[in-house]
Amino acid sequence: MLIRLHNIGKTYRTGGGDVQALQGIDLSIDRGEFAAIIGQSGSGKTTLLDILGCLSQPTEGDYWLDGRAVGSLSDRELAVVRNQQIGFIFQIFHLLPRKSALHNVELPLQYAGIPAQERRRRAIDTLRLVGLQDRLAHWPNQLSGGQQQRVAIARALVNRPAILLADEPTGSLDTRSGREILEILVQLHRDGQTILLVTHERDLAEKSGRVVTLLDGRILADERREAGDPLTQPSLVGSTNRVETAP
Amino acid sequence: MTLRDSFADAFKNLFANKLRSGLTMLGIIIGVAAVISMTSIVEGGQRKLVQSIERLGTNLLFIFHASLTPEEQRKFAGRSTGHKYGDALAIRRLRPELLVAPILQFKKQLRAGDRDYSGQVTGTVPEYQEVRNFRPAVGRFLVQEDIDEWRRVVVLGRDIAEKLFGTGSALHREVKIGDERFSVVGVMEPKGSLHGTNYDELIFVPVTTTMRRFTGNDHVNFMLVHVPNRDEMEAVTRDIHSLLIQRHDGVDDIRIRNQGEFLKAIDRTLWIFRIVLGGVALVALLVGGIGIMNIMLVTVTERTSEIGLRKAIGAGRSHILRQFLIESVSISVVGGLIGILVGIGMAYGFGDLVARAMPGEGDWGAVVLPSAILASFVFAVLVGITFGLYPAIKASKLDPAEALRYQ
Repeated sequence: MLIRLHNIGKTYRTGGGDVQALQGIDLSIDRGEFAAIIGQSGSGKTTLLDILGCLSQPTEGDYWLDGRAVGSLSDRELAVVRNQQIGFIFQIFHLLPRKSALHNVELPLQYAGIPAQERRRRAIDTLRLVGLQDRLAHWPNQLSGGQQQRVAIARALVNRPAILLADEPTGSLDTRSGREILEILVQLHRDGQTILLVTHERDLAEKSGRVVTLLDGRILADERREAGDPLTQPSLVGSTNRVETAP
Repeated sequence: MTLRDSFADAFKNLFANKLRSGLTMLGIIIGVAAVISMTSIVEGGQRKLVQSIERLGTNLLFIFHASLTPEEQRKFAGRSTGHKYGDALAIRRLRPELLVAPILQFKKQLRAGDRDYSGQVTGTVPEYQEVRNFRPAVGRFLVQEDIDEWRRVVVLGRDIAEKLFGTGSALHREVKIGDERFSVVGVMEPKGSLHGTNYDELIFVPVTTTMRRFTGNDHVNFMLVHVPNRDEMEAVTRDIHSLLIQRHDGVDDIRIRNQGEFLKAIDRTLWIFRIVLGGVALVALLVGGIGIMNIMLVTVTERTSEIGLRKAIGAGRSHILRQFLIESVSISVVGGLIGILVGIGMAYGFGDLVARAMPGEGDWGAVVLPSAILASFVFAVLVGITFGLYPAIKASKLDPAEALRYQ
C-alpha cells in the first residue's frame, strides 16, 4: 500500500472562527492505481491534495506514505519527500517563465543534487517521453498550452516519483489538448505509474479506475470499476459509522 | 542546487528587471563611490600638506611672540618684550651649530620703472635659504656683508620679478621699496604656496637694512631655527626658551613650535574630516541597503507562487533562503564593483577640481587607498547580506500550499 490516510481532518483558523475543511478521511491507495478525487469547489479536494502532496499537514489523523508516517517528518525531510516521491501537475502549469523547457524539467533534479550532465540527460529523456524532444530550448511562452502542460508532466516525472498528483490538469486547456494530456496520463498508468487525479469534471474522473467523491470535507463515495467499463460495485462509505460532530 | 546554479538564477532574475535592478544598485554604487572618493580626497590632501611642510625644511623650530593678556601687559609694563634681532644673535652664540633666521615682514609699495606693485617685504639673514630650503635661481641670496653693511640689496621671488621686469632679466636692476632704492642681486627659484603664503611673491632684503630704513627699531616678527640633529629638538627648545625669558626680563611671551606639532594638528583635523565624510558615505551605503531590502520584499511578494512551486518540487527552506540571499548579494556585489570604478573616477575628478579651485597649491591629486576599496566593498557585501536576510527568511518561511495558490 502506497498511501494510507487514517481519520484525517484539517481545520483552518480564520478571523471569523474555525473552518473545518476535511474531517474523518480514511483512504488507501495502492501502488499502480489510477484514482480520481472528485468534488465541487469547497468540497475539500484541494486541501486533501495538499495533504497528500505533503504541502500542508493535517490537524488530525495520520498519513503514511510508502510506510513512513508523514506527520513525524521535519520541514527538510518533507522537502525531500516532495522532491523524490511526489510529482505535481497543476491546472496553470506553474512553469518558471524565464527558463527553457529543458531547464524547467531539470529543476527538481537540481534540488536533488544531481550533477549537471546527468540532469540534462534525464531531463531530455523525460521530455522525449512526452513528445517534446524538439522543444528543449523553447521558453514557456513559445509553447502552446498543451505543450506547456506536457513540460510540466515531464518535470513531475523526471525524479521518478512514487505518485503523480494531477490537480485539474486539463482545466486550462481546449478539448483537444485536454484529451492529449489525459491520454498521456492513461499511458503512464498503463506503464505502472500511480496517479491521483483531482478534478470537478465527472467524465474526466471516469477515465480512471477509481472515483472518490468528496462533499463538505467528507468522503461521500469510493467507487471502483474496471477500466473502460461502466461503474460497478458502488460502495458508499462514511454514512453509517460517523456522527456529525460540531467543532 | 549548486552555488553556481543559484548565481545563474540570480543573475537571470536581475537581468530580467534591468531598470529595477539598476536603480537598486544605484544606492550601493553611490555609497561605495562616496566612501572611496571621500577617503581618497582626504588622503590626497593630507599627503599634499605633509609634503609641502616637509618641503619647507625639516627639523624646524618656529619661535613666535605670544601676545600678552591685558593683565600681563599691566604686570610687565616697561619690561622688554617681543623678539629682537639681538635674540637671534644670542641664540647663535649659545649654540653655534644652529641656523637661526630672524624674520621681519611688512607691506610696502614696490616700483621698477613705470611698474607699481604692493608687495610683502621680508627682512632676514643668509641662513634663511638653508632653513627654508629655498634658493636663488639667478644671482645670489643675501650674504653676511649685506647684513653687516646694511646694504640696500634685494632678492626677488620669481612672480614678483616677472611682475616688475616682465620676461627681461631683473639682475642688477633697481627696485624702489617705499622711497628707498634697492639693487636686485638675485631671483629665487619657484616654490609655490603653503598655508596661504605664495613664496614666489616674497622679496628678501637684509634684516639690518629693514630695521634701519623702515621700522626704526630692532624688533623682528618671529624666528626660524634649524636644528641639525633631530634628537636635540627638545633640548634646543628648552635652552632657547630659558635664554629668551632671561633676555625678555623674565616675561614668558615666547611660543616655540616645531614641524611635528604642525603635522599632528593637521592629522587631527583630517581625522575629523575622515570621520564626518566617511560617516556620511556610510549612511549613503545604509540607505542603499534599505533600497535592497525594499526591492527584495517586493520581489518575494511578486514571486510567491514561484516560491510555492519550487517548494512543491523539492526546494527546502535553505534553498529558498539561499536563492534570495544570493540575489540581494549579487545586487550589492555588482553595485559595489561599479561603485569602486565610479569612486576612483570621482576621486580623481574631485582632486582635479580642487586643484583648479586653488591654483598655486600645486596639484592636489587624490590618493586612492587599496584599503578603502577593500573596506567599502566588504561593507557593501555585508549590507547586501544584512538587508537581504529578512526578505530571504520571509520567502523561505512561506507556506508551500498557500504560496502555490497566491495570485
